[in-house]
Amino acid sequence: MITINYSDARPIYEKVKDSLRQLMLSGVLPPDSRLPSVRELAMQLSINPNTIQRAYRELEQEGSIVSVPGKGSFVAAGGAARAAKEAELREKLAALVQEFDALGVSREALVSMIKEEER
Amino acid sequence: MIQVRELCKSFDGFPALRGLNIRVPKGAVYGLVGPNGAGKSTLIRHAAGIYRQDSGEVLVGGEPVYENPAVKARIAYIPDDIFYYGGASIRDMQQLYASMIPSFSAERFEKLAAAFGELRPEQSMRRLSKGMQKQAAFWIALSCCPEVILLDEPVDGLDPVMRRQVWSLLLQDVAERGTTVLVSSHNLRELEDVCDHVGIMDRGRMLLERPLSELQENMVKIQLALPDERELPADLEILHETRTGRLRQLILRGSAEELTDRLAECEPFFLDVLPLSLEEIFIYELGGAEHEIRNILL
Repeated sequence: MITINYSDARPIYEKVKDSLRQLMLSGVLPPDSRLPSVRELAMQLSINPNTIQRAYRELEQEGSIVSVPGKGSFVAAGGAARAAKEAELREKLAALVQEFDALGVSREALVSMIKEEER
Repeated sequence: MIQVRELCKSFDGFPALRGLNIRVPKGAVYGLVGPNGAGKSTLIRHAAGIYRQDSGEVLVGGEPVYENPAVKARIAYIPDDIFYYGGASIRDMQQLYASMIPSFSAERFEKLAAAFGELRPEQSMRRLSKGMQKQAAFWIALSCCPEVILLDEPVDGLDPVMRRQVWSLLLQDVAERGTTVLVSSHNLRELEDVCDHVGIMDRGRMLLERPLSELQENMVKIQLALPDERELPADLEILHETRTGRLRQLILRGSAEELTDRLAECEPFFLDVLPLSLEEIFIYELGGAEHEIRNILL
């Protein structure tokens, strides 16, 4: 279900967090559905359980999932995963805009570039 | 779970371990790395109770290991070269361990048969390939339900599918039963996935031991280009620097955020922070200990 891209140099817990979030956004894991347990995922991916635990902890902190003691972790209703993803994309956009600034591309030119981008 | 203090061991006057300290918490997967001849296998053999130390302390679960059968019954050790009696089959070896290890579970042995599909208990150990012998060792070791698993170059000789299979079983044990794993390996890519603690050894000593996340968060690779008149802040802890024209690549100690903020003050044209892999951390940590890769022209 989850795949980890090994050529990506980010820490593994971030990669796990990202792919879980992607599954929530794409609807594979709809709100209120149960996430695999830490143990299941550790086994499936051959990754240290503490690493998985950390990914879950951070997803819980951003509000994407809810942990129910004794029952497992569930996808939170209310689209927190979406909000977190949006915040992340905004950060990327800010960095991109800065790079365009450094190249001397005007904001107006940037806006028209975005508009030209085919939907 | 495993605690070693000021461990010294010499072989024929050669000091293999020189005041080594290590602490492996319960339920940790501890990766032991270091250059050839650092003393990794020697340390593991002490933890398994095979060697008697010259001085220092080797404790497993708070008790000395050497000549202590009760403690040793809770430890599974898979060496680089698998031991078996000549002519013994997998079944013979399994029965030998079942007779000595109180926690041996025949039920688990039956269940695990599915994971090692290519092996059959009646096969003779001698006729198995190196990788298959290792599989047999994992089969028996995991059936012993150990509290501590010591692995010396465990996946050496195992094919990629079997490597994942073995790690998946081990990590399941870690998650479920809090098994402690101490593993030496040169496969840093793999250790990065499975370990939560790392110890870097060099010449009989522990250079550093840390939770893996802390290790990765305390060293960064930064690429930057500064205007000519600007200099880097003087108090940066630079582990390595390469320069190509204006472009510098720095390996720095510190957190990514803090260093980005500090370096932003120098108004770089360009600043890029890259995470470090365990392999890079290993190379740069040891680089300071005179292990720099030498460019030798042949």
